[in-house]
Amino acid sequence: MVRKPSDYQSDIWNDWCPGCGDFGIVAAMYRAFAELNLPPEKTVVVSGIGCSGKTPHFVKVNGVHTLHGRAIPFATGLKLANPELNVVVNGGDGDLLGIGAGHFVALGRRNIDLTIILHNNTVYGLTKGQASPTLKRGLRPKALPKPNIQDDVNPISLALASGFTFVARGYSMMTEHLKELIKRAIQHKGAALIDVLQPCVTYDNIHTVEYYKKRVYKLEDAGWNPVVEKIEEKEEKIIKAWIKSQEYDDKIPIGVFYQDPFTPSFEERIKERIPSYLGTPPSRQKIDREGKTIIDDEAFKKIFSHYIVETE
Amino acid sequence: MFNRLSIIVGGPQGSGLETSAQILTYSLAYLRYGVASDREYFSNIKGRHSYVHFLISSDKLPTSLTYPVQLVAALDHETVFTHFDSLQEGGVIVYDVSVEEKTLDTTPSMEEDLKDRLRERFRELGIDGSVKALVKYVSEDKKIHLIPLSYSEIINEAAKKLVLPASQAARYVSSIIIGAVSGLTGLGKNAIEYSLARRFYDRPELIQQNKVIIESVYDKVVRDHGSILKLAPSKLNYKEMMVVSGNDIVAMAKIVGGVRFQSYYPITPAADESFTIESYEKLEVDGLEIGSVLVLQTEDEIAAITSAIGAALAGARASTSTSGPGFSLMVEGLGWAGMNETPVVITYYQRGGPSTGLPTRGSQSDLLFALYASHGEFPRIVLASGDHIEAFYDAIEAFNLAERYQTPVIHLLDKFLANSIVTLPIPDLSNIDIDRGLITHKGGADYKRFDLSTKISPRAFIGYESIMWYTGDEHNELGHIDEDPQNREKMYRKRMEKIKIADEEIPQEKRLTYYGPEDADILLVGWGFVKGVALNALETLTEKGIRTAYLHLRMFSPFPSKMMEKMLKRFDESKIIAVEHSYDSQVSKIISMNTGFQITKEIVKYTGRPIYLNELVDAVLKILKGEERVVLTYGP
Repeated sequence: MVRKPSDYQSDIWNDWCPGCGDFGIVAAMYRAFAELNLPPEKTVVVSGIGCSGKTPHFVKVNGVHTLHGRAIPFATGLKLANPELNVVVNGGDGDLLGIGAGHFVALGRRNIDLTIILHNNTVYGLTKGQASPTLKRGLRPKALPKPNIQDDVNPISLALASGFTFVARGYSMMTEHLKELIKRAIQHKGAALIDVLQPCVTYDNIHTVEYYKKRVYKLEDAGWNPVVEKIEEKEEKIIKAWIKSQEYDDKIPIGVFYQDPFTPSFEERIKERIPSYLGTPPSRQKIDREGKTIIDDEAFKKIFSHYIVETE
Repeated sequence: MFNRLSIIVGGPQGSGLETSAQILTYSLAYLRYGVASDREYFSNIKGRHSYVHFLISSDKLPTSLTYPVQLVAALDHETVFTHFDSLQEGGVIVYDVSVEEKTLDTTPSMEEDLKDRLRERFRELGIDGSVKALVKYVSEDKKIHLIPLSYSEIINEAAKKLVLPASQAARYVSSIIIGAVSGLTGLGKNAIEYSLARRFYDRPELIQQNKVIIESVYDKVVRDHGSILKLAPSKLNYKEMMVVSGNDIVAMAKIVGGVRFQSYYPITPAADESFTIESYEKLEVDGLEIGSVLVLQTEDEIAAITSAIGAALAGARASTSTSGPGFSLMVEGLGWAGMNETPVVITYYQRGGPSTGLPTRGSQSDLLFALYASHGEFPRIVLASGDHIEAFYDAIEAFNLAERYQTPVIHLLDKFLANSIVTLPIPDLSNIDIDRGLITHKGGADYKRFDLSTKISPRAFIGYESIMWYTGDEHNELGHIDEDPQNREKMYRKRMEKIKIADEEIPQEKRLTYYGPEDADILLVGWGFVKGVALNALETLTEKGIRTAYLHLRMFSPFPSKMMEKMLKRFDESKIIAVEHSYDSQVSKIISMNTGFQITKEIVKYTGRPIYLNELVDAVLKILKGEERVVLTYGP
């Protein structure tokens, strides 16, 4: 069955502000999902809270709209219970790098096969424009009563430091390019981050379409090769990627910064310990025999012999 | 010969005392004795005082602990100082002669409060405060039988015999306790040998090394003193006995109950349960795999509950295990599970709060929190177990109830149970049902996760045939955000009415049990770990001519209101006493809320130590003399 981008579009009216950068993200998702022909019943979009949190409702695959900052651990449980799922997390900069930053770091350490699409617009839109963790110090988007006093966190640098094995940046106004990034991220076997620059047309009068238009350039056009081809190259490639991630003012690179196909995914690590894991993961096991436990008295004694004493 | 013995073995944390207690318990199980035990320890890895308090019985499975004790076996001087006053007249103390000169001033690990109290006590007794003076006092004034041993000599001799450096042999110093206790109680060397082989099956060299020490002490004690605390041969007839802690038995139950995903963040006293489950991640019988469990150590408790919810959405039986501080972090996730009708089990071992409180001590002070945590209103099921066997069946039933009513289930336990190692017969598994509730796999594109046409919507798993949406927002039947007032009313009511359905379906007798004579004079009311001591108090009080009954609550939500009301009305209000490890007697408040019945008498304890039989009996007598409230504080 061939699926078209429109097959992934739900019939829920999209209530993002007209002109919102998020439209570009969801459009790129529809196209990427269609080109990969993802089965909707085997695909889940997971989100947190905020404008990006509504994304699952606009996509006709399974959707789980969770708590502020917690999209990653919800997605972790879904994916580990059923590793055949394609799990795509959509979160805001506040969601993933503010309230949920601990989960972001933990995901890197585990390298679970999840795709994280970070809606990066430097503000908390749905609560009317407060500074987000990606807003630089000294800037004052129009809703702020005073200039931002906190420094920003760089999503690309943090992802590299945390252990993500696919690290990319996209721009919501370049949907063809973003679609390709989403496809590559989903196909990558491990934790994948796409930091998506996404102008907030209502509250961010600084990072506008014009702002990005002047600065954004594609890494691939500059001859950047992000892929660790041999395991020995890993250190060199990750250092280069990290240095590249610091370029964020006059010029803003988009594209894949880094991809490491060697670090085993969490699912592979579990399989090392439980060889049957991928074939019969937690969600696919039968736990009863006609309504009775599969562990009867005899099996119980065998399994838990360590605790059982045969008396004198 | 003794049918019942109370024993304390004590020493610094990290000295091998816990292993020694395990070996003794295995030996007692091998000889079919009933054992109950409580382990008391500080939040500390090495050096602070810890002890295990045992009750051993030759004719029943004991369910509580009591003072005074017949034997204190001390690995160090701090144990002598801390527990000498717990000895019964004519009891026995085993101690190290090489610490005879030690005083409180040379015991830096002891807390100043206890030192101050002891200094006062020593002044009263007119002794100089050394171990030497103290044992002389107990020997003369309390007729305590002294067993002085030179631990260093025992170690040096063993080192010579084993051709080991003395420093290495010293690592097995806690085996001296095993030798002394087994010699005095006449356990027999083969029982000890059996236990050593069990404990160190993977390190045979340790069997021999410990055995040399144990046997030399055993022989010395029997030769010089005889088996003066000899246990009567057991009258219990079990062919097999389990030696399990509360953490262990809950882990086993979850595995039997089909848990397939368990997440946790390390916390005392819950973490051992997850370790046990993880050690059985591959479930094998005769070399054939019958299943597997994924145990995930998360970055915090928020991730623990939310990843368990994620796994539940995918169709796995999922649970997480924690204590108060961890549950505090889980509260928002709990609400999401309630809103989204997700079956997730939270095993909640209470410890002393608030905040970090007494992290290694027990409490029952989180009842109201467990019942009402999280904003908004949603149904939840709250179970509480009174002993190891109840915990076993409840841990399985928690999953059935979660899936049947599509709601979070909180299984309330406590530190007392978590760390209490007991001997038990193997639970009967023949009547255990696995009820996965209403499940559909054929929803297809039209599937409505929150279908309003049935009281409980059939559940499909993400990743099978259907497509569905979930959201923490109020939602329509498909799971999309919907703020319409009429939809809100229907969805809200549908969620809330599930607790009414559960209330109708779960027999009240399963939620509330009455123990004792129909026409009892007084009624104790309690839940959780109170059960064991209350049942023993019932016997003791009845022997004293006070016909006593105990009403045990095992489920707080849905609350067995009708049966509770019926039971309480049979008693004079002045004869009903609530018993709880808390300050506020929270159980009284919940009963009053659900039935309108006010329980005015209460016995509470919030020192973090368990309620002992002796103090509960005394407290009941005080209440009968007219006191309204008795606060218990016994136990070091």
